[in-house]
Amino acid sequence: MKMTQRRGVTRRQFLKSAVAGATGAAIAAPAVLRAQGKTGTVRVWGEPGPYGGVAVDGMNEWAQKNAPGLKFAIETIPWSDVYPKLMTDLAAGRPAHCISVESPIAFQLMAEGLLEPVDDLVDRIGRNRLIPGIKWDYWGAWKGKQYVIPAHHQSHLLVVRTDLLKEAGVTKSPAEWNWNDQLAAAKAVKAKTKQFGFCIALGRTIATDYYVISMLHSAGGRMFDAGNKSEVVFDSPAAVETFEYIAELFPTMPPGAVGYTFLDVVDSMAKGQSGIVFYWGRVFGRAAEVDQQVFANMEAYQHAAHPKTGKRYNWNDFQGWLIPKDNNPYVNEVKQALIHIQTSKDWQIRYAQSLVPNVSPVFQDVATDPRLTQHPFFQTKRRTIFEYYTEALKNASNSGNELLQGISPLAGIAHGRAIIAQGIQRVIIDRQPPKDAVKWTHQQLEQVRREHIRLVL
Amino acid sequence: MSVRASDTGPARVGRAAWCPRRRWELSDRQVGVLFLLPFAVVALVFVIYPALDAIRLAFHSKLPFRNAFTFVGLDNFRYVLSDPVFWAASRQAVLWTVASIVLQTVLGVALALLLNEAVRGINVFRGLLLFPYMVPTVVIALIWRWMFNPELGIVNAGLRRSGLVAGDIYWLSDPTWAMVSTILLNVWKFTPFVVICVLARLQSIPQEIDEAAQVDGAGAWPRFLHVTLPQLKAVLAVVVVFRTIWTFNKFEEIYLLTRGGPGTSTFNLAVYAFEQATANLKLGVAAATGVIMLAFLFASSALYLRLMRREEA
Amino acid sequence: MALRRSTRRRLRATAVYAALLVITLVTCFPLIWAGLTSIRPNEEMLKTELLPGRVTAAHYRALLAGRSMYFEAGGGAYRASTAPSQHFLAWFANSIAVSVATTVLSVAVSTLAAYSLTRFRFPGQSVVPYFSLLGYMTPSIIYVFPLFLLIVRLGLADQLPSLILGYLSITLPFCMWLMWAFLKSVPIEVEEAGLIDGATRLQVFRLIVLPLAVPGIVATSIFSFIVAWNDYLIARIFINTVTRLPLTVGVMHFFEGVHVDWGLMMAASVLMTLPLAILFMFVQRQLVVGFGAGAVKG
Repeated sequence: MKMTQRRGVTRRQFLKSAVAGATGAAIAAPAVLRAQGKTGTVRVWGEPGPYGGVAVDGMNEWAQKNAPGLKFAIETIPWSDVYPKLMTDLAAGRPAHCISVESPIAFQLMAEGLLEPVDDLVDRIGRNRLIPGIKWDYWGAWKGKQYVIPAHHQSHLLVVRTDLLKEAGVTKSPAEWNWNDQLAAAKAVKAKTKQFGFCIALGRTIATDYYVISMLHSAGGRMFDAGNKSEVVFDSPAAVETFEYIAELFPTMPPGAVGYTFLDVVDSMAKGQSGIVFYWGRVFGRAAEVDQQVFANMEAYQHAAHPKTGKRYNWNDFQGWLIPKDNNPYVNEVKQALIHIQTSKDWQIRYAQSLVPNVSPVFQDVATDPRLTQHPFFQTKRRTIFEYYTEALKNASNSGNELLQGISPLAGIAHGRAIIAQGIQRVIIDRQPPKDAVKWTHQQLEQVRREHIRLVL
Repeated sequence: MSVRASDTGPARVGRAAWCPRRRWELSDRQVGVLFLLPFAVVALVFVIYPALDAIRLAFHSKLPFRNAFTFVGLDNFRYVLSDPVFWAASRQAVLWTVASIVLQTVLGVALALLLNEAVRGINVFRGLLLFPYMVPTVVIALIWRWMFNPELGIVNAGLRRSGLVAGDIYWLSDPTWAMVSTILLNVWKFTPFVVICVLARLQSIPQEIDEAAQVDGAGAWPRFLHVTLPQLKAVLAVVVVFRTIWTFNKFEEIYLLTRGGPGTSTFNLAVYAFEQATANLKLGVAAATGVIMLAFLFASSALYLRLMRREEA
Repeated sequence: MALRRSTRRRLRATAVYAALLVITLVTCFPLIWAGLTSIRPNEEMLKTELLPGRVTAAHYRALLAGRSMYFEAGGGAYRASTAPSQHFLAWFANSIAVSVATTVLSVAVSTLAAYSLTRFRFPGQSVVPYFSLLGYMTPSIIYVFPLFLLIVRLGLADQLPSLILGYLSITLPFCMWLMWAFLKSVPIEVEEAGLIDGATRLQVFRLIVLPLAVPGIVATSIFSFIVAWNDYLIARIFINTVTRLPLTVGVMHFFEGVHVDWGLMMAASVLMTLPLAILFMFVQRQLVVGFGAGAVKG
């Protein structure tokens, strides 16, 4: 098709070049600003909850004095969204500038080389300041470097409605339960009261993984052998026993549990649907808000002991702060702000009190500060709160650092795909034999290891 | 009126096509290109390029969290085709599509017949019954979750009170009921589309044929079967193929209601692809699934085009 | 027993009305129920009476004024911006802006292109409309991730204009098809007369063709607006910052990481559907004509 020459520029052509110019300028602007330094918004990611906001308030206090052009802003990410968001943000070259996340995910990110080392902060914050018995490593150290600053620790414990247990005729104290007592209590509550006996998350989400893993640990099993290049050791009698145990518990659970995630379990207890749940401290705050009767009758204990191993492992997030190192213009500012809030007892106490007893302090001086116990919950739930704050640490474990015996970065990947959840769902929903489901799960974990072998060699 | 694309020359008698009267006047050629340009640019850059890139991605693997792609040949396809979840998703997609289409067609034709009646105020009803098509899927999925909530929902409350069901139906927690719930949502939302198409056709059928049959003493059902239905056959064929293509690949209607759950029991191919990309961070595998979906799409649209040409003739 | 014709007709009309009423009620029930729930106070949410005992505007107030979540309101002066209701108005504004922009652009681009295709001769032009239809039938899940990578390369990730581009990729094929089918049936004789009379092609387009094309433009606008307003997948992938989300993805936040508040969610659903309801009321007749003609015929 022939084109004749035309002089001049049509309106349409002019508009097009103007738009192109404006777009180019808009893309170049942030780079220009970065070169000049200290203005902009520092994006901080956290899980749903008030404590992220509290920490960011503390960071902004630092910014007001030291970097007035900067503003820290919190963005809470639903648990189901962490992986998609990480993927899309990193692909777009604009990660959050600071992330508060539980350790298995942190482990994956640090092994991938995406995080800024924070050894320079360890001594500034206090190398020996942690509550005795816990180590900086638990939050995230890899190949000799520290990558994660401890924010707090949070365990999930056995939470019961004492009134429902009484109504169901359960006399043995949950402090002395083993797995058989627990199952019997759940059955009794289901049979003799209007409530369901037991509730955990069994949806195809990260929450389910956490629940199953902690029980697996008590039964003596593990997913990976961190000491041997994360070899997959999931397929074991302990795993089969865990799957079987959950299958036995399922009839006492709300049928909707196959779609439950974290907050559904919270509501299941707080709104009086179930008599026994496993949960982190948040459930007490929710119950206090929703139903004072329920709150008054809730108590937390360490988990029921496994009949053979005697272990009472819980899942502890070991929640920490990490700093993505690529495409992050605010690395130094984030570090300074973190030092500011971590060294300030004031902010640490405010942080812990924003969600009692979910947010458990990690520094000894904070844990022993009298101001810590000035929260109203301590009047009626003091014993429960200290079960979360201190007792839980004696039984802490999680999938990234199984039995606290060593870190494997593959756990985060497995949880992102909710592999363990899919495994247990094969038993609960598809009614497969636990042995087969365990084998299938083992194969999926081996596939994860094969695909990411470079992380563990 | 006859319709033809016209060439630029002959209409402008008396003036050479290339010689402008004013400085800014454009020739027909230039107008033609200029008008087509925005569409061509957007179509090429934002429609064709991504579709081709999707095919390219199907043969690559992307490391999670990094922008690095490696060529892996047919590995992604092998992965997909050997994944039992993929085959389950395909089976479920077929079941979901067939059930939805059958219900949509039957209900759609019935409703269209009803709405074709010349009673007063029919336009009000037409409007109300067509609205579901426009409601955002997010909205209807949320309302569905609320209505079908096992403890608090109105559906179970109604069933309980009427004595039809003893306990609670777990609409979204049981694989079978979850499938039913998603089918119901799909039917609710898209039957209006069938109604619109069939109604448009019905309104172009001259009334004399039907009235003649009435005068001849034919009853309502035989009249429908032998007079109305043959007239609708062509439209229905087109609509069914069209709706099938759409339904088979629908994402939001399932994902927003059940996320493909419980477990993977309401997965279809679109949900499978989405989960591969966002949960497993396997863009290559998701793209391979997309290519398989495209293959299905091409086959069915060839069928659609053939049917449509036949209806025109 | 033969009935008189008028009686039979009246009976038939009554039967039709009855059937229509029942079906309409059943079809509209979800929306009615959402409306009733949205004015129901939280204490009554557990009861399943059809009509609420007490009516409250609390949920709507929460959305329009931005009520913070429970643990933020009570726990102290912490204004962590996480509550979905705090962002509802921002989401609403985003949806309006993006939908209007998408509509305007879709209509403009497709009308111009359709005019060009139906009035001038290009190589391969008979194929373009059918390819457009094919594009329309391609589900967005297939190309949304490569499209996202492209958006990233253009530096538009997490920006609202990226949504406009994404929606255009969905609306343009069908709008092109609609306008092409429509303009094909607009007679060219009037244009030719104008051209002979000395008008330029652009003037003919603006003054003669456009007014005749209004019904097609209306149908195309409605379609584009609905696509842009209702989309979830593209917005979910392209946008990350919570204040930049459109309504669809934002309202799903009521379900994730937040304790479910049914009253609030139903109020959000009602407000989200309102613009479409208004739009629909104005243009329902055109919808049947434009859609039926374009989708079924060639």
